[in-house]
Amino acid sequence: MTGTDTVSLMVLAVVGTLVSVVAWRRTRATTVDFYLAGRRTGMITNAGAICGDYLSAASFLGVAAAVYASGLDGVWYATGFAAGFVPVLLFIAAPLRRLGTVSLPDFLAVRFGSARVRIAAVVAVELIILSYLVPQAVGSGVTWELLVGEGIAGLTPYTTGVVVSTVAVGGIVVIGGMRGTTWNQALQFGFLLAVAVWLGALLWAGGFSYPAAVEQASTQPLQAVVGERLVEVPNQLTGEPARFGVPGARYGTLGQLALLVTLVLGTAGLPHVMNRYFTSATGRAARTSTVWVLGLAGAFYAVAVMLGTATRILVAEQADEPWLAELTVDGVLRVPEHALLVLGRLLAGTPGLAVVSAAAFAAMVSTIGGLLLAAAASFGHDVVARIWRPSGGPREAVLAGRAAVLVISILAAAAAIAVDPERLLATFPSLIATMITWAFALAGSALTPVLLLGIWWRETTARGAVAGIWTGAAVAVLALVMGLILGPDVGDGLSAVLFAPALVAAPLSAATIAVVSRVDTGPPVDPRLWTRMHGTAADRQAERLARITLRGRR
Amino acid sequence: MARSEMGPGTPRGPEEFDGPAEVAAAARTQRRIALGYGLLFSVAILSVPLLSVALPWWSGARLVGGMSPSFVVAAGGLYVFFLVVAVAAATLARSVEDRMLGSSSDEGPGTER
Amino acid sequence: MRGVGPLVAAVTALWALVVLISQVWAEPPLSPVGTIVAGVLLTNVAILGYGSSLRGPRQQRVRARPNREDTERRAELPERPVGLTDEVVDAAVELLLPLLGGDAVSITDRQHMLAFAGPGHDHHAPGTPLYAPAREEVLATGRTVTVTGRDGDVIRCPQPGCPLRSAAIAALRVGEEVIGSVTVYRGTDDPPEPDLVEAAARILSLHLSVAELQATQQHYLDFELDALRAQINPHFLFNTLNTIASRIRTDPEDARQLLVRLADFFRYAVRQQGQFADFSHEYAFVRTYVTLEQARFGDRLQVEYDIDPAVLGAEVPVLVIQPLVENAIKHGASGKVGRTTVRLRARVDPLTRTLQVAVRDDGVGMPTATHEAVLAGRATRDDGGVGLRNIRSRLDLLFGDRHGFEVRSEPGKGTSVQLQVPLR
Repeated sequence: MTGTDTVSLMVLAVVGTLVSVVAWRRTRATTVDFYLAGRRTGMITNAGAICGDYLSAASFLGVAAAVYASGLDGVWYATGFAAGFVPVLLFIAAPLRRLGTVSLPDFLAVRFGSARVRIAAVVAVELIILSYLVPQAVGSGVTWELLVGEGIAGLTPYTTGVVVSTVAVGGIVVIGGMRGTTWNQALQFGFLLAVAVWLGALLWAGGFSYPAAVEQASTQPLQAVVGERLVEVPNQLTGEPARFGVPGARYGTLGQLALLVTLVLGTAGLPHVMNRYFTSATGRAARTSTVWVLGLAGAFYAVAVMLGTATRILVAEQADEPWLAELTVDGVLRVPEHALLVLGRLLAGTPGLAVVSAAAFAAMVSTIGGLLLAAAASFGHDVVARIWRPSGGPREAVLAGRAAVLVISILAAAAAIAVDPERLLATFPSLIATMITWAFALAGSALTPVLLLGIWWRETTARGAVAGIWTGAAVAVLALVMGLILGPDVGDGLSAVLFAPALVAAPLSAATIAVVSRVDTGPPVDPRLWTRMHGTAADRQAERLARITLRGRR
Repeated sequence: MARSEMGPGTPRGPEEFDGPAEVAAAARTQRRIALGYGLLFSVAILSVPLLSVALPWWSGARLVGGMSPSFVVAAGGLYVFFLVVAVAAATLARSVEDRMLGSSSDEGPGTER
Repeated sequence: MRGVGPLVAAVTALWALVVLISQVWAEPPLSPVGTIVAGVLLTNVAILGYGSSLRGPRQQRVRARPNREDTERRAELPERPVGLTDEVVDAAVELLLPLLGGDAVSITDRQHMLAFAGPGHDHHAPGTPLYAPAREEVLATGRTVTVTGRDGDVIRCPQPGCPLRSAAIAALRVGEEVIGSVTVYRGTDDPPEPDLVEAAARILSLHLSVAELQATQQHYLDFELDALRAQINPHFLFNTLNTIASRIRTDPEDARQLLVRLADFFRYAVRQQGQFADFSHEYAFVRTYVTLEQARFGDRLQVEYDIDPAVLGAEVPVLVIQPLVENAIKHGASGKVGRTTVRLRARVDPLTRTLQVAVRDDGVGMPTATHEAVLAGRATRDDGGVGLRNIRSRLDLLFGDRHGFEVRSEPGKGTSVQLQVPLR
């Protein structure tokens, strides 16, 4: 089923990425350039780049898949992903930029003046990145499986997809730097948004009515493929068969709450997204960028939800097509992650499939790129240049960062190959989106509480911060492991909380920070540091310089 | 020492200067604003799942064609709400910064004489 | 921008939207109780949000030049009584003409015609000299006089064809002083009713007296403000310059910043026009001042600000808060050996629509004599109570008794000044 045009299009996308990286690469990159694109990036470009980092396979394939599989309860993923930027805007964006550091661990280390905080934060960051990378790799594997359907060099198609995407992106990051990827991320987000809007426009041109589709999808009970049979999904709230437009297809009230809190808190602790804030021109620009992010991401998710709804209808209507029959059981997709790809083919034939695949790969590439870069920054900068060998010089730090990229991409690829999507798919209706929440849970439990308190509560001490990071990370990991061991069917809301543990872990972490800081007799925050973090002197200076430059040009 | 690497991105000119006391005051005020908006945001997004338990109308009625009010809010309304909150909070935060920090002469257009 | 109009519009729109969504569009409609609860909740959010947000664009800090009209009006002041502007007298004669039963009406000051309506306005134009000898008597005595007939030359108009034959003339007064006249003319020998003319003249006089009083108050306010500007404490300037001079060698960068701030300080104090300014401008002024004082006192002076965001856009009387802080520093840090903390707290009370400003220090407190003097509204310059007294009298003039001003001082424990002014 794969035309040569499909493959060539993909190759084109990858080549384009490489070319732009090389074109933007400077001849001699300094450490700061490598990680932070020289700290001068336009506001909207930066917003686009933040979206590019953020909108991953989980958003592009995962949201549509979740809506396809669970209806209204799947919509909550989209809502949670978008909502996460509201706390970022309110509490984090401006002070984060104003302190003027290089990475999240660096920020925390400078705020608390402590190497222990740095180490704890680096561990948390690498954990988060790893758990975020795995679902991205799974996503590329699933896409490759559907699109190419053949393995290379004796590997299974799924494994081939994982390896190809990891090698490509790892190479790009090792060779290039963030400067390349800032533009790439923004362009790639533009591409994603354009593809989503294009699909929406095709639907609309075909006489699609969104409200009518929701109505139509809700007439029959929601069904899912288990093994080779269709089963009805029970409503978690009422026990009746679940319906598309009615809440309860996936979560009880507690589960929904846990998912929301996890996604909302998690965004603020995602290292690859937060690292983008350090490249804003000023603290104010960081805040304004976030407003743009909310607008752009909101538009994207609203369209993605609609596409998921449309897929539910169209697949059921056209399940007789031979190529579609392979992928479905009685008009229901075996793998919900295929939803958007199938929709592309239904609406625009093979080229449609190719475009959606390219977009999916772009989403994965940009997110994996951001993640690997964040891993490099926290390892190269924070561990090697600050703790391990402070005398080593910037070259050594960049080398260490590149080594970290290699190690962590191999680890992620290995984990993704070890994950057997066929088996897990039976337990989790939308695998990619579910796995992403685990990364969000880690981030929201380990890093967000310490960020919030460190920024807004003067009395937070280094010991409190260390204790908070360890507590949050430990509780979250423990809950996730327990959840995986016990499986998704324990207790009423218990498994829901175990799989989205930030609801419990984040308050625990915050309480630990508060108690330890109160008991601790460490020194209070340096007033100069506080002034730099919350003051606008640097912002005003930068704005004044910009004004002078503008006037000089007139 | 950690600062030496900060590079040219953050020039600290001679005229721009924040006193610790005024920054502390601005931070307190900003915190109050952020907490207020945070509360509004939490209430809004938590009310959607809670309403679907408490109010049958919320997920049972039909609003626009075949969508329930719950679906309309989750699939579109909340994004608009987020954007409105974001714009309001960013505007307020910015004007508070403008008014609480900086000396009285460094206003944008006012200084160009 | 600052009224409740936008809020009313927003709340109305909210209710309309709630009703439309929950009752009209929805199928089946929500229960009325649900609709009302939703509407009330949203209304509360809107009201809270409105009250706590900043509104209105940021005004420019310093007006570049004084208002031209102000200058002109001031230049006119010695010549013409306040209130007798061209527009006012023109409007007055047009208004009086049909009321007083005459053919023509005029208003004069002591030398010239100011306005004339009716037949003969061509040669009794504003600015022409006064002819009737009877008016001299009116201006001299303040009594109302009637005159009849051209023959006796009582009007003594030089124009041969003038149709006016009789008149009643009444005096215009501000207070006790006669400043001009109101004349009603007739084309017949039957003069207009003098009582009516006198009543009209009295009403006009009353209006003029009120205008005069207001102008006096305005002058007084301006005078007080000028006094405050002029009395920027010479010690303060002296001390600050000393501090800067001592830093020029040790820390030139710091000295430069202080000089910039000192320039800011004087620019604001001297250029400030009008009686009101944005709180944020006054706050910036206070911060500038405090920075300069902190350069002198170093760690001995701590200042804490606690400002509600809703306060920042409010209008406050100019140069009121800084003298309070100056007073606190003077009575706190100067006399004390250890560390002094001055706290400035500003809040808006949305219920009473007042702005509350409190300045507290934990210094040595005022000497009892000074405290009593301030409470009684008198103080000598040496006590530093001038600022407080000046503020008090300006607030009295601006707000009458719609403001609160409270000074509490305990020797050894510190002073606290609380100020409440209505929001504009």
